[in-house]
Amino acid sequence: MKWANSLLLDNRAGKIALGLILPVLVVALWQAAGPTGSLFGGVLPTPDRVWLAWKVWAFGPPGMGLNPYSGTWLDNALFSTERVAKGFGTAILFGVPLGIAIGWWRLAAGAFDPTIQMLRPIPITAWLPFSIAVFGIRDMGSVFLIALGAFYPIVINTTQGARGIDKNWIRAALMMGAKPLDVLTRVVLPASLPSIFTGLRVGLGIGWTAVIVSEMVAVKSGLGYVLWDAYYVGRMDVVIADMASIGLLGFLSDRLIIAIENWVLGWHRLQSFQA
Amino acid sequence: MGNVSFRATSKTFPGKVPVCALDDITLEIKDGEFVALLGPSGCGKSTLLNLLAGFETRSTGEIKFDGASVEKPGPDRGVVFQEASLFPWLNVWDNITFGPRVQGLKRDEYESKARAMLKLVGLEAFADALPAQLSGGMRQRVGIARVLVMSPRALLMDEPFGALDAQTRLAMQQLLLDVWQTLGTTVLFVTHDIDEAILLADRICMMSARPGKITREITVNLPRPRSIESLITPAFAAYKAEIMAEMRIAHAR
Ligand SMILES: Nc1ncnc2c1ncn2[C@@H]1O[C@H](COP(=O)(O)OP(=O)(O)O)[C@@H](O)[C@H]1O
Ligand SMILES: [Mg+2]
Repeated sequence: MKWANSLLLDNRAGKIALGLILPVLVVALWQAAGPTGSLFGGVLPTPDRVWLAWKVWAFGPPGMGLNPYSGTWLDNALFSTERVAKGFGTAILFGVPLGIAIGWWRLAAGAFDPTIQMLRPIPITAWLPFSIAVFGIRDMGSVFLIALGAFYPIVINTTQGARGIDKNWIRAALMMGAKPLDVLTRVVLPASLPSIFTGLRVGLGIGWTAVIVSEMVAVKSGLGYVLWDAYYVGRMDVVIADMASIGLLGFLSDRLIIAIENWVLGWHRLQSFQA
Repeated sequence: MGNVSFRATSKTFPGKVPVCALDDITLEIKDGEFVALLGPSGCGKSTLLNLLAGFETRSTGEIKFDGASVEKPGPDRGVVFQEASLFPWLNVWDNITFGPRVQGLKRDEYESKARAMLKLVGLEAFADALPAQLSGGMRQRVGIARVLVMSPRALLMDEPFGALDAQTRLAMQQLLLDVWQTLGTTVLFVTHDIDEAILLADRICMMSARPGKITREITVNLPRPRSIESLITPAFAAYKAEIMAEMRIAHAR
């Protein structure tokens, strides 16, 4: 086992190779199981067909040919990404300050926490009709759902971070002459950042769920719209290419958050390495 | 300036079973005096220090610092915590200059003082280090420097060397003696270590628990300047014997 560890865990290329074994195996089996290009009596296309469909979707000539998806991948991916960015940004704008206030200020906890806890069990899917009724079949409805879905984990994790602060940090700050606002921005906020980032990662995941769900029902563009539309016209190759695209974008956006986290929270990583 | 006065002060923590942590404390500390609070754990030493720091509010009595009633924390009373309690997201320099910065001072108003204090505690080379990169003793030096930067009129130290190994602790005691002998600020120093109390203090207030009271005050007349060599003099041993006898009596009661 020792040689396997040093080969596959202790260097970057080995690690990547180790992680790729399972997906490559699954794709290979899937491909082998459908010599005619599909499985389950033509329902499920093999990976090569999916790849082909994706290439046309991404790079094919746009315009109203026989294939309405041709060349529209980038536009749709951008539509979805933009909605997630807007909704996620809104969720941060509300979730972080509110979470800090709830965690730090008992009056705010009393005023907001019960409402949040009562609304939270309503899944964002249950908000779909409401959102369509209020915002119509437009961007706003989708952004609203994403913001709402991402808001809960952000506000809850931020609250937890603000509550778990070492009492002596607050005392030290006050002793050095910090005003209440200084304590909030210079102590409570940075001390809560590790929890905030946990909330951001969970919230972003929910944001991608919300954008797909809302695009399937409440908007006429984006990866979620294409997903449902392709299913209706029986283009399972596009459906699967679409699923893979969603996974890829979700993965990349999560990596982006992790990169920002590593940059902002260098001190925190250092601490956990010591512990 | 740096005169402290507790008059008939008591502190009871409310709760299902209220805890009377301090009862009828009367204590005067003169400007520039080094007073140690010595007693077993749970006897109210931290509570007394926290009252003077303004972290806790008293139940009865009055506490004055330079004639003004103590109501809240402030940079005139610099507190050094047991675990240093530095901000782990700030490097040493930003930790040390936190006080002046939140007080709205310009960089050129505090920079030279901060440099001097960093040098005084021997950490010039570590200005850019994060607290997690420092040893326990170094962290505590930063904790001392960050309050000295504010030129406090009193230093309140709550078992500041309690978490350090014996050798580092000796080095820190020597450092504190040197610093205090240079600056001459009033110090209230909490400890449960008899040697530490005798080595550092002008006066030792011995405390007992339930309710927390000052049972006896002992003036330490060992010559200054002191150093850790004072620990092995006969006069030192005599003080230690006196304190241990007092503790045995307190224990028998
Ligand atoms: N916030 C608090 N709430 C209730 N009881 C407390 C609190 N802080 C301290 N006490 C109690 O007061 C007594 C004195 O505590 P403390 O001042 O911390 O003692 P010491 O520092 O001498 O060990 C102890 O019995 C402790 O349990
Ligand atoms: Mg204590």
